Amino acid sequence: MSAPTVSHTPTVRGRVSWLATARVLIQLAWARTFSPVLLLAVLALVLLPMLFALAFASRGSLSGDPVVFLIQRYDTLVGALATPLIALLLGTSAFSAEAEDGTLLYLVTTTTPRWWIACVRVVFASVGTGLLSAVAVWGTGALAAGGHDPLGVTRAFTVAVFFGGAAYAALFTALALLTRRALVGGLVYILIWEGVLSATFPALHYLSVRQWMLAVAASLTEATDARFNVGPSLTASLISAALLLVLAVYVGGRQLQRPRISRIGT
Amino acid sequence: MSAVAAMSTPTPALVFDAVSHWYGDVVAVNDVSCTVDAGITGLLGPNGAGKSTLLQLAAGLIAPSAGTVLVYGERPVEHPRVYDRVALVPEREALPAMLSARAFVEARATLLGLRDPRGAAQRALAEVEMDTVADRRVGGFSKGMRQRTKLAAALVHEPTLVLLDEPFNGLDPRQRVHMMRLLEARAAAGTAVLLSSHILEEIQGVASNILVMLSGRLAASGDYRTLRRLMTDRPHTVRVRSHDDRRLASALIQLEAVQGVELERGGLVVRASDYTAFARALARVAQAQAITLYEVEPTDESLEHVFAYLVAR
Repeated sequence: MSAPTVSHTPTVRGRVSWLATARVLIQLAWARTFSPVLLLAVLALVLLPMLFALAFASRGSLSGDPVVFLIQRYDTLVGALATPLIALLLGTSAFSAEAEDGTLLYLVTTTTPRWWIACVRVVFASVGTGLLSAVAVWGTGALAAGGHDPLGVTRAFTVAVFFGGAAYAALFTALALLTRRALVGGLVYILIWEGVLSATFPALHYLSVRQWMLAVAASLTEATDARFNVGPSLTASLISAALLLVLAVYVGGRQLQRPRISRIGT
Repeated sequence: MSAVAAMSTPTPALVFDAVSHWYGDVVAVNDVSCTVDAGITGLLGPNGAGKSTLLQLAAGLIAPSAGTVLVYGERPVEHPRVYDRVALVPEREALPAMLSARAFVEARATLLGLRDPRGAAQRALAEVEMDTVADRRVGGFSKGMRQRTKLAAALVHEPTLVLLDEPFNGLDPRQRVHMMRLLEARAAAGTAVLLSSHILEEIQGVASNILVMLSGRLAASGDYRTLRRLMTDRPHTVRVRSHDDRRLASALIQLEAVQGVELERGGLVVRASDYTAFARALARVAQAQAITLYEVEPTDESLEHVFAYLVAR
């Protein structure tokens, strides 16, 4: 056996490249997120509102006003269900898996700033959630309204799901670094807080991503609906979401300083 | 300290100063003080002795509950710049299964801010003899291949302090020897290597200095012969061959440092209570009796003996 050779080529260190590290962090996130089960779950969430739209379209004029139908479904099936659940899956998968099996170590024993690692993971989950939710919005709109966009509802909710997707993704990405039971915690949040409490108690509207999404959608469409009138203003929603994003990146970065790695030994 | 003195005394790679760490009620590391510098230092102890916790403290992944950990003079916790010079190889085998070994090592190189991640990854993979299979997914790798991939990922930025947790697990004998040589070559080039193991032969063969941990405490430190010397309250067994074993035996039995002598075929076995005193007295006795010594060999100087004694103590 030949003796091992120690490299004498000097390793040149430079400044951490934001773009290159972002590419690597997304590559690692994708490697840990993608699985057939996750793909099926996301597909089901994207197709669910479309199935409702198909049923709506099949009844023709008997179904009623497509604008009313679309606002209801975009709020209940997309904004309160598909978008947060997709954000939960994309936001928690990578960090939770990495913390559980210890591979998070390979991220946190590098010179890349911790806040940047958290930030890129939030962007990864946000963009993924936004794109997948937008597909659900477009598909539902196209099926229910016969390819039209009455009163700009579909366009408005497309923007709203990107906005809400970012807020949900930030929340769940930080949650994955805070607790081992991020998936359960996220589900409870979606079903209890967003699904029941924030819809029941007006005082909680300001703390509901779902209500923020409605505020954004309301500002971009000419349609009117009772649910547009009860939530926070557009300004309050934008400020709240921005605060949530900053807080999630800060908390995520802090958590990565002292990562929750189950153990490094067996 | 004056500037001249500071220049002449390089900062140690790693210093533990009265370090303790506990998880709730469980004390994992208890008042450990030691220094790790260039060369290979073995961290020896049974499972649960606190070795992995000590390595995590050194890597800045956890903060000490008490005491101070310094890596090149700086506290490593919440200080990512230390990873310019520090690498940790965990015992756990998990790697991103979908990535190839090359992609994984390149990813580390990029996150460490190397200018040429591709070239650095290629060099590191070649160093651990993984370059020929580097484009295969790590999900299909054997345990040994995973170990070597982890090592490549750790060495990719040529760190000067390498922390390894049970690095020989899963390696076949040939790979084990290769890794030992690799670490020795790194150490000879000035790298400080701290490697943990619960298998004595691994450490004895490669480490110039050994830290023995038991129940979170640093039970002993030094080279394995020094550790043996520490066992003053336990008889040492030495095999001696001379041209007149019987006469030597009768002379040795009268020494205070000798507890017993057994004549065996081809020599005699001496049980000494104080090894150092015996070694000095043996030379005097042999000279006085005009006996020629052919061989003097401690029979229980293996680390296995040292470890067994320290565990039982």
